[in-house]
Amino acid sequence: MTAEPRASARSAALEATRRENARLFVIFRDPDASAAERDTARDALVRLHLALVDHCARRFRNRGEPFEDLVQVGTIGLIKAVDRFDTERGVEFSTYATPTIIGEIKRYFRDKGWAIRVPRRLQELRMQISSATAELTQSLGRSPTPREIAEKIGCSVEEIIEALESSNAYATLSLDATDDSDDGSQSMLDAIGIDDAALEQVEIRESVKPLLEGLPAREKKILLLRFFKNMTQSQIAEEIGVSQMHVSRLLTRTLEQLRTSLESD
Amino acid sequence: MITSGVGARSDVELRLPADGAYAAVLRTLTAGLAARLDFTIDDIEDLRIAVSEAAAMVLDEADPGADLVCRFRLMPGELGLECTTTSAAPSTPDYDSFGWQVLTTLTTEAVVEATPGSYTVRIAMRSSLDLQ
Repeated sequence: MTAEPRASARSAALEATRRENARLFVIFRDPDASAAERDTARDALVRLHLALVDHCARRFRNRGEPFEDLVQVGTIGLIKAVDRFDTERGVEFSTYATPTIIGEIKRYFRDKGWAIRVPRRLQELRMQISSATAELTQSLGRSPTPREIAEKIGCSVEEIIEALESSNAYATLSLDATDDSDDGSQSMLDAIGIDDAALEQVEIRESVKPLLEGLPAREKKILLLRFFKNMTQSQIAEEIGVSQMHVSRLLTRTLEQLRTSLESD
Repeated sequence: MITSGVGARSDVELRLPADGAYAAVLRTLTAGLAARLDFTIDDIEDLRIAVSEAAAMVLDEADPGADLVCRFRLMPGELGLECTTTSAAPSTPDYDSFGWQVLTTLTTEAVVEATPGSYTVRIAMRSSLDLQ
């Protein structure tokens, strides 16, 4: 008997939240409202939906990051969702905001992972070592020495030692990923996974392609100049005829858009 | 480069707290030295395992607060390592243990010495280039 009034109380609360949400968005999006009024509405909107962040962050507990940090990061996602929400589209705000919040938390995990990764230079060297080792093992009929690998790649023995050391560190890290069954002599190098990196690239490239095509011509050109022709922002600014600051802003915004679209897929 | 100026032999000595946390330092140093002595990648990986086993055996017997002293003998194509620690009452070496099996398989020579007051493991390994 108690279930029914409780359920109706909950739906009443939900309805109230919904109404409040709609009211606040009207103020927030009202071009005639003052900046202060809109700011207040924005704050209220964020506060109104904080429980949603809590709910999303809870799903990522016990993954080695403090819950409070996840709530912080998720709140950033919520703020972004409030800023971007299109009231015309007829979807619930929570439906729209949830992927944004989760995307933000996921990105936090990903970026945290980056911080402890081996520098790119060593990652690349390790891949070179891995393929040079395979080739030399074939041609010599035995495992090569670091000196032979160094000569093949054209770097110093020191660098080879450093890279081999880093691959051991890499393996230690991946113990977290329950990948601890390797004890063969080649396993450390094998574990580098050239294929994996390339595969990841393919996937990213394929999913980015349609998004790139959807970009405005100027944004597309900037991305191209920056990442394919490797021009500096200043050079791009000169080429296009805008300030470097503007190029920087456009780049940041475009990348942000791409990232958001990729994550929402 | 050690190999370019190598005479009859040269020595490297490392003193560490007798604590498993430092085993990685010992492994890294061993790998670095072996690379300079023209050991192959496979040899170096074997050495890393052998050194870990040797260190584990010695650490088990170490007195509280003791040091682990590691002496490397470096010769062309050959690396010797002596790991020793102070041990008031070392247990007699267990030649049936898994660790010992690993050690004798991976090295060209392995010796344990347990005397009142100290516990020592000595290993030697030749580069597989040298064995050919």
